[in-house]
Amino acid sequence: MASALARQAAPTGGARPGRRDAGWPGRRGVTGRRPGRRGVTRRQRVAGWGLALPFLLIFAVFMAGPVLASAAMSFTDLRSADLRDPLAVDPVGVDNYVRLLGDETLRRAAANTAWFVLLGVPLTMVLGLAAAVALDAGISRFRTFFRVGYYLPVVTSIVAVAVVWRFLLEPDSGLVNTALARLGVDGPAWLSDTRTALPSLVVMAAWRNMGFLMVVFLAGLQAIPGELHEAAAIDGCGAWARFRHVTLPLLRPTLLFGGVVTGIGYLQFFEEPFVMTGGGPLDSTLSVAFYIYQQFGFGNYSYAAAIAYVLFVAVVGLTAAQFRLMRSKT
Amino acid sequence: MRHWRQATALVAALALGVTGCGRDDGGPGPGGPAAGGAVAEGKATGEITVWAMGAEGEKLKALADDFTRDNPGAKVTVTAFPFDAAHDKLATAIAGRQTPDVSMMGSTWMGEFAKTGALDPTPPGLFDRAAFFPGAWDTTVVDDTSYGVPWYVETRLIYHRTDLAAKAGVGKPANWQELTAFAKGLKQTGGAKWGISLQPGGTGAWQSFLPFAWQAGADVLADGKFTLDTPQMRTALEYYASFFRQGLAPGQVAPGAQESGFISGDIGAFVSGPWHMSILREQGGAALEGKWDVAPMPREQAGTSFIGGADLVVYRDTDNRDTAWKFVRYLTSPAAQQKLYDLVGSLPAVTATWQSGKLADDPLLKAFGAQLADAKSPPAMATWEQVADVIDDGIERVVRGVTDPATATREMQAKASAIGTGS
Repeated sequence: MASALARQAAPTGGARPGRRDAGWPGRRGVTGRRPGRRGVTRRQRVAGWGLALPFLLIFAVFMAGPVLASAAMSFTDLRSADLRDPLAVDPVGVDNYVRLLGDETLRRAAANTAWFVLLGVPLTMVLGLAAAVALDAGISRFRTFFRVGYYLPVVTSIVAVAVVWRFLLEPDSGLVNTALARLGVDGPAWLSDTRTALPSLVVMAAWRNMGFLMVVFLAGLQAIPGELHEAAAIDGCGAWARFRHVTLPLLRPTLLFGGVVTGIGYLQFFEEPFVMTGGGPLDSTLSVAFYIYQQFGFGNYSYAAAIAYVLFVAVVGLTAAQFRLMRSKT
Repeated sequence: MRHWRQATALVAALALGVTGCGRDDGGPGPGGPAAGGAVAEGKATGEITVWAMGAEGEKLKALADDFTRDNPGAKVTVTAFPFDAAHDKLATAIAGRQTPDVSMMGSTWMGEFAKTGALDPTPPGLFDRAAFFPGAWDTTVVDDTSYGVPWYVETRLIYHRTDLAAKAGVGKPANWQELTAFAKGLKQTGGAKWGISLQPGGTGAWQSFLPFAWQAGADVLADGKFTLDTPQMRTALEYYASFFRQGLAPGQVAPGAQESGFISGDIGAFVSGPWHMSILREQGGAALEGKWDVAPMPREQAGTSFIGGADLVVYRDTDNRDTAWKFVRYLTSPAAQQKLYDLVGSLPAVTATWQSGKLADDPLLKAFGAQLADAKSPPAMATWEQVADVIDDGIERVVRGVTDPATATREMQAKASAIGTGS
């Protein structure tokens, strides 16, 4: 904001006001220095790079390096037998990428992942939003208690959660089927039926992650000025109309954030099938991330890297799509 | 835009850098199986590092102390770690060329790690292969070269409730027909909910299924080619699935449910290894005592069971090859094998150890010893884990009735052939 004003006020040509004057000669053409450098001296530049160097080194060695190495790896035929001499491999071009296009199991995993995102993201967001609205408006007593309660699954170890959920979903003696039996319904074998295994994991993931979205949405709700609601109420709006026309539009940026974060997380869903079903029954809960893990385990390193890059592209694509869909209408 | 171009250039440069490498030859791992020289006679000297997993890893120190008492010039450093982390830890060590001198190795990992060229071939003449159970020795052989020595073994028998069997009037099954009748009897007359519990699919189902395949005369591999699509394999798959189709075996087993089901009498029998003896004694208590026994595998073409366990390997990058192999030889001596059994209850891979003591007297242990003489392991190949996954999948499809055995064996054969043996 400030810089935009300064630019507007700046007269065309001549010295720029409002700039820090350290080292800035103020007379163009005298020193022959490009104005784009903004008068940073050589010494300052050295100091700047020197200070940034530790971070840059760590970034290059531990972040960019592995990322680029795995990208290079996906164009070779590196397998577990090459462990001792990882550089002695043959480049195979895009063979790995061609191969994954025809991989039936990967297609199955991609479909499972797509379903998981399509069902899971809206469900988690609706549950998170409902909890946030209830905490924001309705429940004033024990608010902290509920906030902690809903957030608890987010910070609980997935292994502990898995054990409990497996007990709940146990077909003969589990709580879910016992409750269904009271109602006269014969519950399915949730995790070992190909039709119910993936939806069961979706519900579990929504339950586990709604607490995080609830906290985020609650913060967003509390930032909406109360006057707007009051004004709408005076104009004769009911609770639903206020929610629809005041809360939701103002919450849009928060919803976008929630959708993006949950979408990224769900596209890479791995822990749920890993601890609950092992990808089964009959690959019905096999996710792309889990398939990558399996291929790494089988020692097909280059193929696994290629799939990982395809998944990365999918994550970027989904995020871009969400930004397009949810951007504010201005 | 400029950043993108720079990144693209960087990736291209890296790709070119990789292009500059390339394999030396199409053969096995770097170095190939060039047999090492003989191991020198005399006392062992110098330091070696040994990695071992699980309960054996924790107790190996005691055995190492005995070794250094006999060889005062030698020092053995033992590093123990849990089995879950073992595969990755070994792979990382090989990739980083930071291998120990000796390590324990899961018997089904031999093919994969031998292919990397990191393992030292077993020196000829140092071990007498006839001293070991044949199925155990076979786990060390990759492409006709042995890369290690069996350390301890386990095999699978049929645990069953003798009280329910007596009620049903059925005895230990001698063949497939009798096994079916046995499971039927336990269920219909014996009062069990399920006659027998077999793994219906999922990771590791092959361990449960392959014994039946071997019993039918089928095998995974013959002359370097997969033989998963044979009439014998179809027969075995059909037979395995028949237990589920007839309602004799449960279609799903929750973790821990097998033990509790067996103790309560809901499950009449199950197939498992020696570790279940202590689990049943602990969890069953006095109520279960004298009510169960183990039976050998039924005999059709053969009476083969599965053999598992761990091998000992020496790494090629060792600085002290002689001492490393001497330590392995010590660990596989009958006395050390006996001590390992006394310490952790691991069954000895050396047959001589079974001639005396509890291993020769205890009827349950004797049954395991007898079965070990007819027990097999899948062929050691680099791609075994992946092929095993294909077999697991085929089993599950047939058990669930998604495909018939003929289609399943055809698919298993096609997928396994596409994966190859990695050689």
